[in-house]
Amino acid sequence: MGLKERVIWKLAKGFRGRAANCITLARQQAEKGLLHAYRGRKEKKREHRSLWVQRINAGSREHGVKYSEFQAGLRQLNVQLNRKVLSELAATEPFSFQALVDQVRFMRGAPGGARGAGSSAGGGGGSGSAVGV
Amino acid sequence: MLHQTQLARSAAVDRRVAAPRNAFQTGKLRVAGVQQLSKRVVPVVVCQAAATDAPAFKGDLLNKSYYPTGADTANANKRWYIIDAEGKTLGRLATLAATYIRGKHLPTYSPSMDMGAFVIVINAEKVTVTGNKASDKTYFRHVNGRPGSWSIETFNQLQQRIPERIIEKAVKGMLPKGGLGREIRLHLKVYKGAAHPHEAQQPVDITREISLKPKLGPGKELLAAAKK
Repeated sequence: MGLKERVIWKLAKGFRGRAANCITLARQQAEKGLLHAYRGRKEKKREHRSLWVQRINAGSREHGVKYSEFQAGLRQLNVQLNRKVLSELAATEPFSFQALVDQVRFMRGAPGGARGAGSSAGGGGGSGSAVGV
Repeated sequence: MLHQTQLARSAAVDRRVAAPRNAFQTGKLRVAGVQQLSKRVVPVVVCQAAATDAPAFKGDLLNKSYYPTGADTANANKRWYIIDAEGKTLGRLATLAATYIRGKHLPTYSPSMDMGAFVIVINAEKVTVTGNKASDKTYFRHVNGRPGSWSIETFNQLQQRIPERIIEKAVKGMLPKGGLGREIRLHLKVYKGAAHPHEAQQPVDITREISLKPKLGPGKELLAAAKK
C-alpha cells in the first residue's frame, strides 16, 4: 500500500502549496522527503569530513605547512587524532594546534628552513653521529 | 636490507622525534605528586590561548562543534588585506584575493557564513597576463540588453578603459555563485594607482603570498634536480 495517511500528513507539514493539503501531492512529496533524508544522512558524514579537512588545511597553512604534509607528518609521528578533533583544535585551541604543526615541521626539517636543505642536513649529520654511537 | 644511509637517516629521525622538547614529553613531570605535597589541586593550564585569537565559544566545548554565529561575521571584526598588482599575474593574484575574501585562510571557515576578509588591490592597471593573452584574451559584454548589442574587447583595450573591471571579473569567477557570493564580492576593493582610502583599516600586505610558477618548467624530474 505505501505510507499510511496519518504518517503522510505528519511528514507533509510545512510543505509549500497543495503538497501540504492534498493527499496525492503530499504523498509524493513526503516520499521524496524521506528519500532526501536517507541520502542526506550519508552525505552529511562526507560533507562534515570535507569541511574538517578544509579547516585543518587553513590552520596548518597559517603555520606554513600544507594539509598533505601535515597529515603525512602526523602519521609518521603516530598521532591518532582524527580530522574532527584536529579541526576543533585548529578553530578553538590555536596554541595546541600550533604545537602539533611544530612537531611535524621539526620532524620534516628545521622549522623555517628549506625542506630539502633541512632533511638532507639532518640525514648527513645523523648518519655521522649514528656511526659514532 | 636497507641501505646504511637509509638506516642512519631513520635513526636520526627517530632520535629527533624521541628527543623531548618540553617537560610534559619527558613524562617526568609529576603533577599529582606536587599537588599531593602542596595539598592543593591546581588546574594545569597546558595552553592559554589569547582571548582575541580563539573565537568566543560559549557552550559545551567538549561535546559540541564550533559553529559561527552572526556576530562572528560582523564587518567590524574583519581583517583587511592589501595586494599590489604591479607586474603580478592576473589569475594567481585573483586566486589569493578570492581565498581571503571567502575566508578559506581561517580555521574557522564555514561555507554558509561570511567569515572572510576585505581585500584591497592597488595598481590595477599594471596587472599582467602571460603569453599572448594581452592581445588575445577577450572580454564579452552585453551593452544595453537588446539583441545584437554586444561588444568584445581585448585585455589591452579593457585595461585602457576600466582596469579595475579586469581584476573584479577575475575574482568574481573564483567566488561562489549565489547570494553569499554576491555579498562577498563587494569585499574586494580595486583601485587604479597606489592610493586607496582605507588607511584607517591598516591593511596587511599579502602580495608576497601570490603563488609563482616554477621557473624550471613542468617536468617533475627537473624540479627534483633543482631541489638537490
